[in-house]
Amino acid sequence: MGLESYLLVGAVLFVSGVVCMATKRNGIGLLMGVELVLNGANVNFVAFSRFTTLGLDGQIVSLFVIVLAAAEAAVALSIALNFYNNHLTIDVDRGDELKG
Amino acid sequence: MTYEKILFFIFAMSACGGALGVVLAQRVARMAFWLIISLGSVAGLYFMLHADFVAATQIIIYVGGTLVLLIFGIMLTATGPHVKIQTSPGELVMGAAVGLTLLFLIQGTVRSVDWNKAAMVTSGGEFQPGEGKGYNPTGQGNTIRPLGMALLGLRPDKDLGAPEEAGLSSGYLFPFEIVSIHLLVVLVGASYLARAKQRTRPTV
Amino acid sequence: MPYETTGETIKTLLTMAWLLPLFGFGVEIFAGYWQRDRFSKAAAQFAVGCIGLGFLFSSWALMTYVQDTGWSVRFEHESAHHAELVTAIEEGKPLPGHGGHDHEGHNNEHNGDHGHDHGEEGHSAISSEDTSLAQYAIADPVVAEKPGHDHHADHEHAHDYENEHSGGHVEGPAVFSGIYYRLASFGDLEINIEYYIDTLTLVMFTMVTFIATCIHIFALGYMADELTDDYVDHQAHYSNGKHVHRPGRFYKFFAFLSLFCFSMLGLVIAGNIFQVFVFWELVGVCSYFLIGFYVERKSASTAANKAFIMNRVGDFGFLIGLMVIWTSFGTFKFAEPDLANTDKPAGLFQMIRGTDGELDVDNEAGVVYLQDGHGERLKTAEGNEASMPYWLLVVAGLGVFGGCIGKSAQFPLQTWLPDAMEGPTPVSALVHSATMVAAGVYLAGRFYPMFTPEVLLVIAYVGAITLFLAATIAMVVTDIKQVLAYSTISQLGYMMLGLGLFGWAAGLFHLITHAFFKSLLFLCSGSVIAACHHEQEMPKMGGLIRKLPITGTAMLVGVVAIAGLSIPGVSFGLIGNVVLVLGLILGILAAYKGDKTQIPMAATVVVVGGLLTFTDIANGKAALSGFHSKDAIVATALTYFKMNPAHLLLFILPLITAGLTAFYMFRLWFYTFLGKPRDQHVYDHCKESPLVMTGPLIALSVLAAFCAIGGEGGKLFVMLSESAPAGIHDTIAHVGTVTLNLPGHIDVLRNHASAGNLATIAAFSGTLIAFMIYGLGLINPTDIKSSLSGVHSYLSNKWYFDELYDTMFMKPAHIVARYCTAIDKWVFDAFLHWLSRATLWISKWDRMFDEKFVDGLVNLLGTATFSVGSSFGKLQTGQMRQYVMFIAVAVVALSVVLFVWFPH
Repeated sequence: MGLESYLLVGAVLFVSGVVCMATKRNGIGLLMGVELVLNGANVNFVAFSRFTTLGLDGQIVSLFVIVLAAAEAAVALSIALNFYNNHLTIDVDRGDELKG
Repeated sequence: MTYEKILFFIFAMSACGGALGVVLAQRVARMAFWLIISLGSVAGLYFMLHADFVAATQIIIYVGGTLVLLIFGIMLTATGPHVKIQTSPGELVMGAAVGLTLLFLIQGTVRSVDWNKAAMVTSGGEFQPGEGKGYNPTGQGNTIRPLGMALLGLRPDKDLGAPEEAGLSSGYLFPFEIVSIHLLVVLVGASYLARAKQRTRPTV
Repeated sequence: MPYETTGETIKTLLTMAWLLPLFGFGVEIFAGYWQRDRFSKAAAQFAVGCIGLGFLFSSWALMTYVQDTGWSVRFEHESAHHAELVTAIEEGKPLPGHGGHDHEGHNNEHNGDHGHDHGEEGHSAISSEDTSLAQYAIADPVVAEKPGHDHHADHEHAHDYENEHSGGHVEGPAVFSGIYYRLASFGDLEINIEYYIDTLTLVMFTMVTFIATCIHIFALGYMADELTDDYVDHQAHYSNGKHVHRPGRFYKFFAFLSLFCFSMLGLVIAGNIFQVFVFWELVGVCSYFLIGFYVERKSASTAANKAFIMNRVGDFGFLIGLMVIWTSFGTFKFAEPDLANTDKPAGLFQMIRGTDGELDVDNEAGVVYLQDGHGERLKTAEGNEASMPYWLLVVAGLGVFGGCIGKSAQFPLQTWLPDAMEGPTPVSALVHSATMVAAGVYLAGRFYPMFTPEVLLVIAYVGAITLFLAATIAMVVTDIKQVLAYSTISQLGYMMLGLGLFGWAAGLFHLITHAFFKSLLFLCSGSVIAACHHEQEMPKMGGLIRKLPITGTAMLVGVVAIAGLSIPGVSFGLIGNVVLVLGLILGILAAYKGDKTQIPMAATVVVVGGLLTFTDIANGKAALSGFHSKDAIVATALTYFKMNPAHLLLFILPLITAGLTAFYMFRLWFYTFLGKPRDQHVYDHCKESPLVMTGPLIALSVLAAFCAIGGEGGKLFVMLSESAPAGIHDTIAHVGTVTLNLPGHIDVLRNHASAGNLATIAAFSGTLIAFMIYGLGLINPTDIKSSLSGVHSYLSNKWYFDELYDTMFMKPAHIVARYCTAIDKWVFDAFLHWLSRATLWISKWDRMFDEKFVDGLVNLLGTATFSVGSSFGKLQTGQMRQYVMFIAVAVVALSVVLFVWFPH
């Protein structure tokens, strides 16, 4: 299977993540969308590592992304908990205090 | 239809299906389940791309760490059993439309690029088009050592091959250190944010 | 300098006499704050003390002068000399001691020692005077045009400065001058407080302080009705017709009296013309305060304003004179008496008159050369001979005399003085005798050396017109104070006439005597008015002598004095004996009848008789002071007329007026004190004033009667003559094409007897007519009035002067003012209104433009920005998911754009 197949899978994951972020009112769902987007990107990196001159760099970057995603998940979770503490719900539509 | 192709389809389909499941599921717990499916399948795809260490890391960190964290979050933020947080149908349609457009856009872009030519251009003409012409370690499951060396500042995949070019490529020691510090700060901040404190009255 | 210590003593005494009233004023003006009520006389008594002390100091100064300068010896000589001259002239024999006509003799005497002068020299002088007299009498123009020829002839009484201060000459007249304090100096101009003391100053000081003292004491009684917290002014009404009630102003009256005295004394002692001007204005202000004392009365405030404003008209001239003097001479100082011993610059008089008292005129160029006081022409800083145009000197003289006209109520500014009768009577007495009006004559006398013959002629004519005009009015007015007011104007006219006719001493002589008898007359009228409860109309009086014996007698003395009655050939000694006996008989009779009211009158008569007996100097004529002084003026006028036949009026008018004076004064007295009471109510309530008022009357009547005893050989005249300006007695001056012969003393003496007789005849006929009409009632005054109704109404309307001024100045001023108002209204106001309307219109449009366009633009911009901002703000929904959607859409859109525009 060639590069483009992997890129297609990455694209699907990416778009799914984006749609997930755009439609989920649940904060945790939002986080999951973010994970999906990151995974879509990661698939691309690893695919480029395999099929182009990028070499080992792609894998290293994907490792960084994975690690950072984990950290991001931890931070995002704590934000979500605080949001929940403040609003007694996880519905992100309720957190519109910054609207213009 | 080779064995490899079948595997790819299985993994690819389950990854995409999981992703769609996450999108379409209405309950958070199910979304988490579909996410496990998707991420696990992606790990399979990594294996197929000969990135065994990355695939392992994917499983360990994502499935074992991040998703557990998410599930904790789901449990901690669970509201009443009858409370559903629904998305309005208009938004769903809108999201679907935009998503599909984006997908077609990306797909169009991917299709429109001549990847071999592009690789040749980026590599200064050394790259010969064809499958497996990139980093192709001698044996599967053998990427841990090069990755570890690269994170310590050495690039055996490049520097060892051509003595006259030795020392020209760079490792990832410095980004590694930055990321480690960054992670430390993030984790401290996360624990600070998530620490138990007196619940305040909701403002809304 | 001779008499240094004497000068210091006199200066100190006069300064104290001068400043005491100021001190008094400073204390008294605050009496209203110190005293809880208005019943205290303390302030008034303080004022009396101040001015009384001032009188003592002044007399002391006079005594010091008399003793230290050997004046008695000089007086003996002058008196004897005068007597010799008179005898010689009367007997028609050639003047004794025909000596040579040599001028050496004159010069000897001229520069010489009067105290040791012997008959020989005196006679030689007389003979030469006789010659010069003959020349004048012929009035030979050829001779007359040689002014240098004989004009030293009778310098007997001319004491020029050199003469007075020749070194080592101890026994002689003295002038003291110096600086109290230098106020400021602007370049060459120095403004000093100076003193200038000669015999005129001394006599004026004594006179002013004495009269003021009498008036102060009199006012203690007269103003007593002000000693209340609720004074009802029956002549002032509120708009609702009620009488004005106000707190009494007793203390304030005396405070102003004190200030008045201070101002007048300052004017007299002043050593420069600028200081005179300052005190001149102070006198004016004080008279303003006092004339308007009953400020609630409209008439009083109007009169005060009138007096003040008319004086300002005169002062305008005075200011012009001051400017001319400053620009031409560069100094205001009168004279520096001690020129020989100091390097101080000469004063005004020394600059304008040479040591021989002559003007140094260059007729060709029309300029006057200024003198340096040492017999040389004054050099300017550039070394040129300092000079000034002759006409400018005339302007300066006329200007200063303009001030005198205003102050002394001369024609044509005489109308303020009768109105000034609105003030309380003591004020009238003070204003009309010693202070205000005297200031004008005093200044004319003091400033005499600055007057050119032209100015003197003007002065003479002004005086002549004034004296006649005022006397005619005085004949018809019925207000007792108004009669006296017009009489004052008339007498002031006499003084001015005397001054203008070269009778310097005669004019000032009359000033002093007039001060005494006029203050007496006013105080008497005040006494009558007070007795009659402020009734001033003579037709309501009559027969008051029975009720007011002392006042009546005192007033009779004053009337006789002013009328100038005399009994030729009878000495005072004889009359004195008769009066003495008469008084004794009266007293015995009164005592016999037990009528106590008669006793004061008898006592007065005895005192008068005694004084007549013991003060007589036996100069062969029984007359009171007014006769002597007026006689001197009339004699001067006669001489002047004889020398200058063109100026007949200058003799005729005073002669006629002498008769008129006697007529109206006796009319007043008869009207008031004789006949039947015309208003029984007034008569019944009338009673003699208390001693505090009659005392000053008696004191003044004594002085009014005898202050001029001896006439021109008497002490007062000789004393005054010592200060006479040098060299003005007999000059021949050219006024245009007319040659003026100016009379000398001897010329006057030659005509003295005839002039005296003429004046006496006039006075007696006036008295007789008055007696027939008002005393005996032989002729009904009403008949005369109706038969001469035209003349009467003309006179009682005061020659229509007020109407004339009304027509001449007020009406045109009103018309001009109306035109100005119209122009203002129709041109300037209209233009301004138009302008403002236009401005308003423009600004309205401007405002619209601003509001609609500029503001609109700015607002539009603001609103647009705001709405754009807020519409962007709408995008900022706060919804995370929407942001994600935006990003996605934006990526899609960007890509589409990229692909569309960059197909590669």
